[in-house]
Amino acid sequence: MQHVAHLDETAIEVANLSHIYAGAQGTVPALEEISMRVGSGRFTVIVGPSGCGKTSLLMMLAGLRAQSQGTILCHGRPISDPDPKRVGVIFQEASLYPWLSALDNIEFPLSLRGARERETRQQRRARAEAMLRLVGLEGFGERFPYELSGGMKQRVSIARGLVQDPPVLLMDEPFAALDEQTRMTMGHELLRIWSTMLKTVVFITHSLTEAVYLADEVLVMSARPGRIIDRIAVNLPRPRTYEMMATDVFGQLRDRIWQQIRKTP
Amino acid sequence: MKILLARLALLALVLAAWELMPRHEIVNPLLLPPLSDVLAMLGELLQRPQVHLAIGVTAAEVAVAFLIAVPLGAALGVLIAENEYLGEVFKPVLFYVFSIPKSIFLPMFILVFGITFAQKVAYAAFTTTFVVMLSASAAVESVKQDYLLVARSYGATRMQILLRVYVPSMMPLLLEALRISMIFNFTAVMIAEMYASRAGIGHLIAGWGENFQMRQLFAGIIVLATVAILFNETVRYFEARCSTWRT
Amino acid sequence: MRLPAPATARRGMLVALLLLWELVPRTGLLPELFLPALSSTLAVLWQDRQIYSAALLVTLYEVALAMLIACGGGIAAGAVVGGIARLRELLLPVFSSLYAVPIVILYPVFTAWFGVGPESKIAFAGIYAFFPVMLSTAAGIRTIDPQFILAARSMGATLTQQVTRVIIPASLPTVFAGLRLGGALAIIGVVVSEMLTAAAGIGYLVTLNRTILDSPRVFAALLMILILSVAYYMLARAFESRMVVWQSAGRSPKAAQNESAGVPVSVAV
Ligand SMILES: Nc1ncnc2c1ncn2[C@@H]1O[C@H](COP(=O)(O)OP(=O)(O)OP(=O)(O)O)[C@@H](O)[C@H]1O
Ligand SMILES: [Mg+2]
Repeated sequence: MQHVAHLDETAIEVANLSHIYAGAQGTVPALEEISMRVGSGRFTVIVGPSGCGKTSLLMMLAGLRAQSQGTILCHGRPISDPDPKRVGVIFQEASLYPWLSALDNIEFPLSLRGARERETRQQRRARAEAMLRLVGLEGFGERFPYELSGGMKQRVSIARGLVQDPPVLLMDEPFAALDEQTRMTMGHELLRIWSTMLKTVVFITHSLTEAVYLADEVLVMSARPGRIIDRIAVNLPRPRTYEMMATDVFGQLRDRIWQQIRKTP
Repeated sequence: MKILLARLALLALVLAAWELMPRHEIVNPLLLPPLSDVLAMLGELLQRPQVHLAIGVTAAEVAVAFLIAVPLGAALGVLIAENEYLGEVFKPVLFYVFSIPKSIFLPMFILVFGITFAQKVAYAAFTTTFVVMLSASAAVESVKQDYLLVARSYGATRMQILLRVYVPSMMPLLLEALRISMIFNFTAVMIAEMYASRAGIGHLIAGWGENFQMRQLFAGIIVLATVAILFNETVRYFEARCSTWRT
Repeated sequence: MRLPAPATARRGMLVALLLLWELVPRTGLLPELFLPALSSTLAVLWQDRQIYSAALLVTLYEVALAMLIACGGGIAAGAVVGGIARLRELLLPVFSSLYAVPIVILYPVFTAWFGVGPESKIAFAGIYAFFPVMLSTAAGIRTIDPQFILAARSMGATLTQQVTRVIIPASLPTVFAGLRLGGALAIIGVVVSEMLTAAAGIGYLVTLNRTILDSPRVFAALLMILILSVAYYMLARAFESRMVVWQSAGRSPKAAQNESAGVPVSVAV
């Protein structure tokens, strides 16, 4: 059942990807010559100035938007349409459906597939409940999004992204709307979940601390048109602890990323 | 630009259908006279002194009712917006008031004023006041508290706050409130005239309808609709201009 | 001095109003012709209960059909106009221009076309209520958070699933608000048109009794219409808040109560 990751296997391979938006006031070159390789089971964080094209890149990795040029391979096969079995997406705003309970939200993607797959309603329910437990929300399944805190909503959202068990998880600033403390806890939780499920994660953030804390590798993008200007390997041991944030190594890594971002005009 | 052309084409299509369908008896010309006949009748009607008089009466009713309803409704609206307690008491009531057909009070106005000019004005002002009240209170509430805070912290006087903060930031909303109130006001005058009256365009229209004078009836509708649309578009034009310098 | 709670104040005002309605004519402050006492109004209402309930049935029948036209047509047209960007750009400004025209001036056309029976009322009230339903449906569809659809796509929803599982439930609150308004306008439209030219219905009773200066019977009809509109509004409100608890409920503790009691609040489509 569970996807077995080999760290030397390539999960995502992007080659010479460029994108130009055609707007009413002319064209906007958003991404330029992006090439990257994400190893299977690795945690990759993308940082870069606002408007540099991070969300655009993620959309293309998810098959939600077509790129102007270049190719994206996911486990060797090209991505052109959303494929929830290969790639799960978690957005900044939890974007839960307010008319569904937490559990129904998690079950939503399964109910979409329902017709195509032989899986009973009970089995689907059981899977959704397992996910709810995984994100630590047992007992909150019947609650509606408006009855959940921001952090809880984001947990539900993560559960929804994981429920189809895709090997790759894309996250676009998932914790940006949360307060500092909740954010730290959520990052920690995410690492716990990730370590048990061996997913490949591509994670976008503006927080340098978060980037270093979470990542195996940090990709730094330049201002628009976005290019990848640096790759920084984070070799801190896992499991990561809050104490690591106070170490010199952690500070140096954070500084290096900051220097890179600051250089970009 | 292209969209404007498309809209004009749509209008032309409707008008052509209005002309051609009765002409070729696709619809009964007695029920829907061809556009050209209606327009000819319109030209004729606009020559008649009786029609001039009716237009004058209606215009006067609309204007006087509006002049009464706007200050009254605005004052009440500001009151329920500024006074928290009154707002909490009356705002829920207002929503019920909107779902009630105000026309049922027409008989009371007739009992008090008789079938007169004053009765039409009083009825129209009565219904319009509620509309003005609701939009005025919404307009006041739209002025963000932080605008006011900023203005106060710079030491602005009450008068300055009123002129520099309230009025400019409310301008588009005020215009919209006036526009919508006018639509309701016009409707109210029409209902009052059609219900019981001896003068005014509404009276003429009701009579034409009863006597199956369809050409006259449609001519009257064209005049009223054109006036209403022109008024509406003019105010909307100013609304749009105010919004652009606001943001 | 402490002011009474707003709800108490409202109830107090209602009681005062009813008392005044009884006392002002009784004490002779106003002649019974201008304002018949509440008790005499209720007395004739009871006395003529057959006439009034027959009239109410006619009115309700017209209102129901008008609502059917307005809601069915309004939702269909609103969905098309709201869903298709081209059509929206073309038509929405046209509709908001037409909105300025007092629709009541069309009523003589309807009586000429359909006669003085229920048909002309249904047609008039149906059109009168059509526009708000259509406009709010269009707005409901247009203002859906694009993230909702994006998320659905990322989860592999087909186009049909996006419509039935996301767009429809997401636009329900606005559509319901439009239906509430449309229903109120259908009642208003029927009553107005019955008052203008008709041979049956409660609005007709208002006009009939006014012309013969039978004030208690005018007020009896008026009272029925008041109750009808207020009752409709309360019902629509209650229905709406049950169907779309999630929409407005963020603040209301009542909603949370409903939810924890296991009331099925999610909208099954
Ligand atoms: N649909 C679109 N059409 C036209 N231009 C777009 C579109 N989406 C994004 N852009 C432009 O492309 C650029 C990159 O946008 P994108 O949202 O990918 O940036 P981002 O790095 O995610 O920014 P942020 O950090 O603020 O989230 C921006 O300049 C934006 O204005
Ligand atoms: Mg972004």
